[in-house]
Amino acid sequence: MKTANIKLSLFNYALNLGVMGVILIAILRVILLLYADGLYPLASVLSAIAVFLAIIYLRRRFTPVRWFGIGIALALLFTLYPILYTFYLSTTNMKSGHLMTKQQAINQLEDQTYLVEGDQSYGWTAFVNPGGEYALWLMPDEGAGLLAFPGEPLEEVPPGEKGVGELDEDRIPISLEGYERLPQNKTVAIIAQLGEINFGEDPNIVRIRSLREAAPLKQKYQYDSDLDAVVDLETGEIYRPIDGTFTSTEGAELAPGYIVFAGVKNFDSFLGNPGFREPLFQILLWNISFAFWSVALSFALGLVVTLLFEGLPGSRIIRALLIIPWPIPVLISILIWRSMLDPDVGFVAPVLESIFGSSPAWFQDKNWTRIGVIMVNVWLSYPYFYVISAGAIRSIPHEIYDAAVVDGAGPWNKFYHISLPLLLRILMPLLIASFTFNFNNFNVIYIFNFGKPAMPNTVVPMGHTDILISFVYRLAFITTNVTNYGLAAAITVMLFLLIAIMVVFQARFTNLFREVD
Amino acid sequence: MKKAIAGVVIVALLCIAGANSLVSAQDVTLTLWVYDDGRLEVLTQLGEAFEEEYGVAVSVEVVDLSEIRTSMTLGAASGEGPDMIIIPHDNLGPLVENGSAAVIDLGDNAENFLPNAIDGFTYNGELYGLPLAVENIGFFRNTDLVPEAPATWAEVAEICQALYDEGKVDSAIGFPDLTYNIYPLYTSFGGYIFGRDDTGNFTVDDFGLNNEGMVQGLTWVKSLVDAGVVSENVDWEASHVMFETGRSAFIMTGPWAVNRFETAGVPYAISAFPAAEEGGEPGYPFLGVQGLVINATKENVLLSQVFAVDFLATEENYQAIFDAEPRPSAWASIFNAAEDPNTAGFNAAGVGAVPMPSIPAMGYVWDAWVDAGSLVLQDELSPQEALDGAVNQVLEQLELDE
Repeated sequence: MKTANIKLSLFNYALNLGVMGVILIAILRVILLLYADGLYPLASVLSAIAVFLAIIYLRRRFTPVRWFGIGIALALLFTLYPILYTFYLSTTNMKSGHLMTKQQAINQLEDQTYLVEGDQSYGWTAFVNPGGEYALWLMPDEGAGLLAFPGEPLEEVPPGEKGVGELDEDRIPISLEGYERLPQNKTVAIIAQLGEINFGEDPNIVRIRSLREAAPLKQKYQYDSDLDAVVDLETGEIYRPIDGTFTSTEGAELAPGYIVFAGVKNFDSFLGNPGFREPLFQILLWNISFAFWSVALSFALGLVVTLLFEGLPGSRIIRALLIIPWPIPVLISILIWRSMLDPDVGFVAPVLESIFGSSPAWFQDKNWTRIGVIMVNVWLSYPYFYVISAGAIRSIPHEIYDAAVVDGAGPWNKFYHISLPLLLRILMPLLIASFTFNFNNFNVIYIFNFGKPAMPNTVVPMGHTDILISFVYRLAFITTNVTNYGLAAAITVMLFLLIAIMVVFQARFTNLFREVD
Repeated sequence: MKKAIAGVVIVALLCIAGANSLVSAQDVTLTLWVYDDGRLEVLTQLGEAFEEEYGVAVSVEVVDLSEIRTSMTLGAASGEGPDMIIIPHDNLGPLVENGSAAVIDLGDNAENFLPNAIDGFTYNGELYGLPLAVENIGFFRNTDLVPEAPATWAEVAEICQALYDEGKVDSAIGFPDLTYNIYPLYTSFGGYIFGRDDTGNFTVDDFGLNNEGMVQGLTWVKSLVDAGVVSENVDWEASHVMFETGRSAFIMTGPWAVNRFETAGVPYAISAFPAAEEGGEPGYPFLGVQGLVINATKENVLLSQVFAVDFLATEENYQAIFDAEPRPSAWASIFNAAEDPNTAGFNAAGVGAVPMPSIPAMGYVWDAWVDAGSLVLQDELSPQEALDGAVNQVLEQLELDE
């Protein structure tokens, strides 16, 4: 009995190890790949997660933790890590031109070579011996060819000596003793290896530069770790690191730069700039009212539709038709709205003109653009509120209405004193969630009119319908040539804190996280 | 016992993971990323020809331009990404600044290319790309409404007014935007974005965005809008629809619009841009150059150079590329041999075209410039004020980047 028990638990243990093993192999493999790519923060987070999983699934003591081990791991990886990484980025100078580590930048600089003025370059022909060693026959523009081996001085060798065979019409030896001459098209596939080889003896090194040319290339830059500076070996100029760029005393800069810690500089250049504050405040106000009106109006419309069509004959067909905006991709719907409202080719303008005599400038006038974008957003989101309020209203017990009727309540009183308060109570968390969603509803804003029309006299381009997130996007990512990750991360951090405060406030307000009693 | 099992399993796991991560030496394959599929087939064929001759395969893939940009800049640190890419030249600046573009030495072969195509891929005095094709916008007119090409912008304005008064057009000129697509209007008055420094690089120190010519160009647009002759709605799609339905008489746009105009059956002709005044220099557009750039962070730089410089850059191959997709070739003799009226029209419009600046500051110019145009049309600011504001915005963003 006892032995069986031990065997079973041994089997269980082995099974446990096996399953864990497969998972750990997968994670370990990813870690190694990330490590090879130099993504150390992500690699270390994954390592921590792997150790965590291994401990809780292999030590009996932690059995109770097992049930949410995977959940914790995923939360760490997909929620906490991106947030922490964004915080980290916001304190760096990472941007175009500063995308690599210092060591990577130094490696790139040290790879650069130069040709001394007046040094000549050669045409070349490669020879290979059975041991895989290479020799070059170098042809200067004028004069006799040179024989070059790695580590040996270049030498003019006439045919017949040192195994050099007869010269062909290009004055290249047909054969070299112990070596095989490679035709040009055979050298292409190995040109990367050939390019790594230093032919000749220090300091007269010749390297392959292209298919046609080999030249005495010299290393251009060298990093001096004592000075912590990069030295230009050609001119002797010293480049010292300033803000992640190697800079000479005259201010000349070497590309590429690298990532350095920048402290609060990103926050300061944004918050410390008075030109940002007022327009940012305007954007914040519009952002809140956009989210508020989007939710309020689509809820109202959804509710009206619910009340109008509840219990009508054919209501199922009507309901199906009303939900149509829902399954259409948001992108398509907004683009369709955009073209319908276009003053030149859309059909809305002629209709309005025939009725009112004029048609609003949907994309140029700030008020009309705001109305337009809310209108489109309401159209997109009312089916959602229609569906949930149609469901919720049926859950209100009929007896309450019967009692109200007995007390002499009309339809309005029944709605205002019974349906609405009960519905609001049920739907409040959804309304709040919807508000938070619309607060960051980038799609509608950006696709409808890119946050335009433009605000006059702002420090950086911003528009009257820009919300915070679309403004950040414009500031950080719209330009195809410049990408300032550090600054974008800093603004994202501020946005994150702002929204975090809102969410905490709402959660308290609605008792969202209170345990059900 | 348990510990022994655990030990064995862990050692085994480490071995497997370790062995897995060892990269085995493989046959070299060059990867080439292109951002549109028009040339995919011909480049694949050329890659096969290269493999036949040199024994190295070239794999050509269509990859989104933004993806190319990301893997060439962010990926530069870790050396990922393709060996070669084909990009529009205005994306070059960040690649050079991040150290991910390799210098290309065309030697004497450079003479066979259009000088301004070479110019487009030259950065800090070095050539970083093999130019393949060039493109510029042209001046389209509806030949039913306007039989003869006007020579000055004043003449264009008169024709617009007349056609509008006769009720023949709804919006006499279609403006796809007030920046790139009407740049020739600005340049004819003497406007420009960046001047050049001693090394031939565009420089922010000579910033022309709010100069007199730019202001005059924007004022010209505003006067037509105020006269009601032209719609205040500046929209790429709408302006093209207006032209192809005959509701606009003029539009300035590029070769990409030719197909839709042909399909719509609108009678059109492409000509050189008008000048500011009688006998003046006609406006010139931005030149876009597409070319092949070698990823300097990969180990196959030498091999890629063989492909680009020694193999691809021949008249025969350029002719094949041109035949596969007839965009004006960067190879001068093929460019000049183009005969069909559209190409001739674009070439006439492109005389004197200057490559679009690829310096990072240009990235900030677009957004500010677009806003300046719309602020003028919204009656918020005068052209001078709006362009001054745009200049400030660009300088402010450069400041933020410091």
